[in-house]
Amino acid sequence: MIGSRNSGPDLSSRAALTFLKSEFPDISVSDAPAVVLERPAAADPPRLSAVELIEHKKFSSVPLVAEPAANRTSGFGGFLDGAQKVQVLAYPKGVPIVLGTVSAGIRCRVERRLITWKERDPAVERKLYLPLAFLGGTRLASSERFEVVDTSADREGAGVDAHPLGLVDRAMQLVQENRESLENRFAEDWCDTEGTPLFIDGGISGSARVATSGLAVGVIKSHRTLYLEDSALPTLFALKKGERSSVFRVSARSRRTVASWYLRIRSAAGQDPLWGLVRIEIADSPDAVSRVDEISRWVLAESSPLSLPDGRWDKMAYGIRDAEEFLRAIS
Amino acid sequence: MTSALGRVVATERKPNTPHEFHFWTALDSPVGIGTIVRVDGTQPIEGQIPRIYGIVVEGFSYTDLQTPMHDVLGHDGSPSDAGYALTERAEIRLYTAAVLRQIPEEPLQPVPMGQVFLAEEPDVQIALRMDTYLREGANTGIPIGVYRAGGTEATVYLDADFLLGPEAAHLNITGVSGLATKTSAVEWLLSSLFTHFPEEKGSIAAVCFNVKGPDLCYLDQPGRVEDSDRKLYEKLGVKPEPFEKVQYFAPYTAKGFTLNTLRSNPALMHNVNALTWGLREVLQYAEVLLNRDDVDAKADALIDFIREQVLDKQFDDPLLTRTHTVQSFADLDAWFREVLRGLEQKDDQSWRTHHVATIRKVRNRLSNISTRCAGLVTDFGEVSDLPFGEFEDRTVYVVDVANLEEDAQDLIFARIVSKLREHLERRDLGVKHLVVFVDELNKYAPSDGLDNYVRKMLLDISERGRYLGLVLFSAQQFRSQVHRRVVGNSSTSVFGRMDSDELATPGYATLSPATRTKLATLDKGQLMIRHPHFTQPIFVRFPRPSVMQGREGAEKFPAAREGSLDAAVFRALRQLDPDITLNWVQDATALYTEQEVLKARNATLLAKPKDVRAFFLSQFRRIIPAQQAHERPVVAAIKGLPLDDPYGF
Repeated sequence: MIGSRNSGPDLSSRAALTFLKSEFPDISVSDAPAVVLERPAAADPPRLSAVELIEHKKFSSVPLVAEPAANRTSGFGGFLDGAQKVQVLAYPKGVPIVLGTVSAGIRCRVERRLITWKERDPAVERKLYLPLAFLGGTRLASSERFEVVDTSADREGAGVDAHPLGLVDRAMQLVQENRESLENRFAEDWCDTEGTPLFIDGGISGSARVATSGLAVGVIKSHRTLYLEDSALPTLFALKKGERSSVFRVSARSRRTVASWYLRIRSAAGQDPLWGLVRIEIADSPDAVSRVDEISRWVLAESSPLSLPDGRWDKMAYGIRDAEEFLRAIS
Repeated sequence: MTSALGRVVATERKPNTPHEFHFWTALDSPVGIGTIVRVDGTQPIEGQIPRIYGIVVEGFSYTDLQTPMHDVLGHDGSPSDAGYALTERAEIRLYTAAVLRQIPEEPLQPVPMGQVFLAEEPDVQIALRMDTYLREGANTGIPIGVYRAGGTEATVYLDADFLLGPEAAHLNITGVSGLATKTSAVEWLLSSLFTHFPEEKGSIAAVCFNVKGPDLCYLDQPGRVEDSDRKLYEKLGVKPEPFEKVQYFAPYTAKGFTLNTLRSNPALMHNVNALTWGLREVLQYAEVLLNRDDVDAKADALIDFIREQVLDKQFDDPLLTRTHTVQSFADLDAWFREVLRGLEQKDDQSWRTHHVATIRKVRNRLSNISTRCAGLVTDFGEVSDLPFGEFEDRTVYVVDVANLEEDAQDLIFARIVSKLREHLERRDLGVKHLVVFVDELNKYAPSDGLDNYVRKMLLDISERGRYLGLVLFSAQQFRSQVHRRVVGNSSTSVFGRMDSDELATPGYATLSPATRTKLATLDKGQLMIRHPHFTQPIFVRFPRPSVMQGREGAEKFPAAREGSLDAAVFRALRQLDPDITLNWVQDATALYTEQEVLKARNATLLAKPKDVRAFFLSQFRRIIPAQQAHERPVVAAIKGLPLDDPYGF
C-alpha cells in the first residue's frame, strides 16, 4: 500500500473532519494532512486461468489487415472511465477514518473532439468509511454532505478485526466496489439510450445489462490474471502489433460470461511481454466472433494520439486518458 | 443578454492582478487580440457586483501534449498520418486581457473569478470611459471608427476636449507608406471632425500641407464608396461626401507659367490659388533659409538692420546716390549694389558697423533666395497668400508643396504656421480652432540632427498650441525617429500597419507581442488608437475616405503641362473670364516681356476684377506701336535769292 502526504487537508477532507468532530465529539481527530492511498497494486495474485475457446481449436494469433492512417475508423462514440481516491484522515485510538471519493463519466466524441456526455452528468461521490463499532457507536450518522459506510463488518456481515490495516483494506474494497457500481450505472444508461459502441476502461462483466449489450466494449489494461493455459503463453507473447488472439469465453463467479480476446496495439520489441497488450471484452453473443476483427481495428485506431505522459500509455486509449483527466479536474 | 464566452482563471503561477487577468474560451469563440470583454464578478464588493472590462492583449493555445516528442512518437514520425487521428487532443484557448476599467473603481482589487462576456456597444462605451463625454447636452465625442468583434459593432469616439484642446490636444499617426493609411485616416478624421465638432465650441478649419504626390489634391471630388464603407459612414454619423469647402494654394513653377501642383487640370482650377511672396514676407523668416553655420551674429545683425531700417522705408544715406525704397528682391539688390559701390569708391571696409565682407555675404545669401525658391518668391514683390483673417468655418486649406525644393517647403511651412499662430493669438484668424496637418514628420521634426527653425516651431505648437486652438495632426512612417516632445505631446496616437523594425524599437515595449504582431499585419482601414480616456490601445476600423484618392484623381484630372506663356496666361485668365481667347491673350501680350506678362497675370488673378480684360491690359506700360513713317509732302520751293543779293546770308 503506497501512501503520500499532502501539504494540508483539502476542502473535502476538512469538511469530513468537521463532520466527524460534530458527530463524534468524544474522539480526537487532528487537522493533520490526509494520507492518500493508491489503489492496491497487488490486490489479486498473478495467475493463469483456463478458458474455453470459441474461435479456433487452439489458441492462435490472427493478424489484422493493416490499414493506412487515412482509412482508419472507429465506431466508438464514447469513452467511460471511473476514478477513486482513498484518504485516511485520522487514526483516533488507532481506528482509521477513511474518506473515499469515486467519480465516473463518459466523454463523447463529436467532430473529433471529446466532450462530456449530455445524457448523464459526470458523478462524484464522497463517503466516509468508518468502523463504527470501534468508534464507540453503532448508529450510522449521515449528513447532507457525507454518507457514512460502516466498515466494521465484512461482505458476509461478520465482524472484522480491529487491525487498522485490515480496516483500511476493507474501506478500500468498499470504495472500489462503489466505483465499479458507479461505472456500471453509466454504462447501463449508455447502452439503454445510445446507438454507438462505448469504450469502457475495464471489464464489462460486472453488470448483466452491460455484459449482454452489443454496444459495450471493455478494454482491460491489467493482466494480473491471464486467461489461457501455460501452453498458449508463447503464442500470446509472440503477438505482434496489430495481431489478436483467438476468441475465448471468460466466466467468473458473481460475474457474467463474456467473449474476450487479446490484442497487441503497440510493438513489444525490447519491452516486457505484456507491453501494448490489451484484453477486450464484448457480449457473448452468437455473432461475437464476427465482430472481433472490426472492434480490434477500432481499438487499434484509438491508440492515437498517445496517452503520454500516463505511465500506462502503451495500453491506454487517448479517450480514456481524457476521461481520467476530466474526472481528476472535477473530483 | 448574450451567453458567456469564457471563464476567468488564475493560478499561483499566473495570478490575476488589478490590471491584468486570464480567461479561457471555447475553441470557436470570436475572441481575438483587441477584443473587448466584460467580466461579471460573483461576490459583491460593498454591495455591488464588480464588473471588469478588459481588452485581449495576448493569447495562448496548447494541448495536453507534454512534449512535441510524444506527438512524433504517436505518429511514427509521419506528419501526414497525424491528421487522421480519430480524436483531437484536448486543447485550450487561453487569453490574457488588460483591464480597461473596473466598476466600482474603488477599492481597486485583483480581477475576481467570473464569467466572461463579449462586450456589447454599451459595454464598450463604459470600458473606454466614453460615457463621460457622450452625455446628452455635453457630448464632445468625435467618431474615429468602429470597434468590431464577434457580433458587436460599437462606435469609438474621441473626446474633442482632448483632441483639440483645451484639456489636451494633437494627434499623431504612424504607419508604413503605400497603404494610404495615414492620409486616408486624416481625411476621414477631418470629415468626422467637421461633422461632429460641437457647434458651441466654435468654428474649425484645417490647413493641410500636401508634401508628396497628389495625396490631398482632390479633397473636393467624390471618391468611390463601397457598400461596406457606406454602412460604416451611417454608423458613424458622417455623410459619405467630399469636403464642401476646399481651397488650394501652390507656388508657381520656376518658370512661373503654371502653378507647381498636380491639381493644375483646367477643370479643377476654380479653387486653386497662387502662393507667392515678396521680400517682406520672406525676410521675416530668412533664418529658415539661411544655413546657421554660415550666417553668424554679424550677418544676423545686418539682416535685422535691413528688416527694421531698410525694408518698406525710404532709406537715405550719404553713401548712396539716391533714396531707396526697398520692397522687392529687385529693390534690395539695387540697394546692395549701391552700398557696395559706395564703399568701393570710398575705399572703406565698413559701413554702419557692418563689414564689407558681411555685406557681400548677406547680399549673396538673400539674393540667392529668390533663385532657390523661384516660383514662390517673386523678385517684384507680388503677394498672394492664404486668407489670414478670413478663414472660414469647416474649410480645408491645402498648401501643395509636394514639388518644391526642401528650402521652399521649409519656408512655406514656417511662415504659414507662424502666421496662423499670430492670428490665433490675436483671435482674428476667422476661425476659433485650426488643425494643421503635416506629413513626413520624420523630416520636419527629427529626433536627431541639428536644431532648426521648423522643428522648433513644431515643438512650440505641440507644447503650447492647444491654448491657442492650434492643433497639430502629424504623420510619419517611423515614430521612433520623430522628436520625442512632438509625439509625446500628442494626446491621441493612431497607428496603421507598422514596420516590424519600427515595432522592435523601445517605444513599443509597452505593447504585448501579440498586439505588436497585430499592428504589423493590420489591414487597410484598420487603426490602433491611443487616447487619454482609453487605458489601453483600441483597434478600430474606419471607412475609406469619401474623397477621390490621389492616384485616381491624377488619372482622371491629369495635370496641365507647362506649355507656352500665352497658353498659361490664357488658362489662368479664363478661370476669371471664360470668354477670353488665346488669340486675345497673344495679341495683348505680344509687345511685352515675359516678366511683364507674368506680373500682369499675377496681379489680375490676385485682384479678381470684374472686367478681366481691361484690368489685365491696364497692368502693362503704354507702348505706342511703331508706325511706318509717312513720306513728307514736298513743299514747293520759294523762289531762290539772287546770288548777289546784298541782304542775303
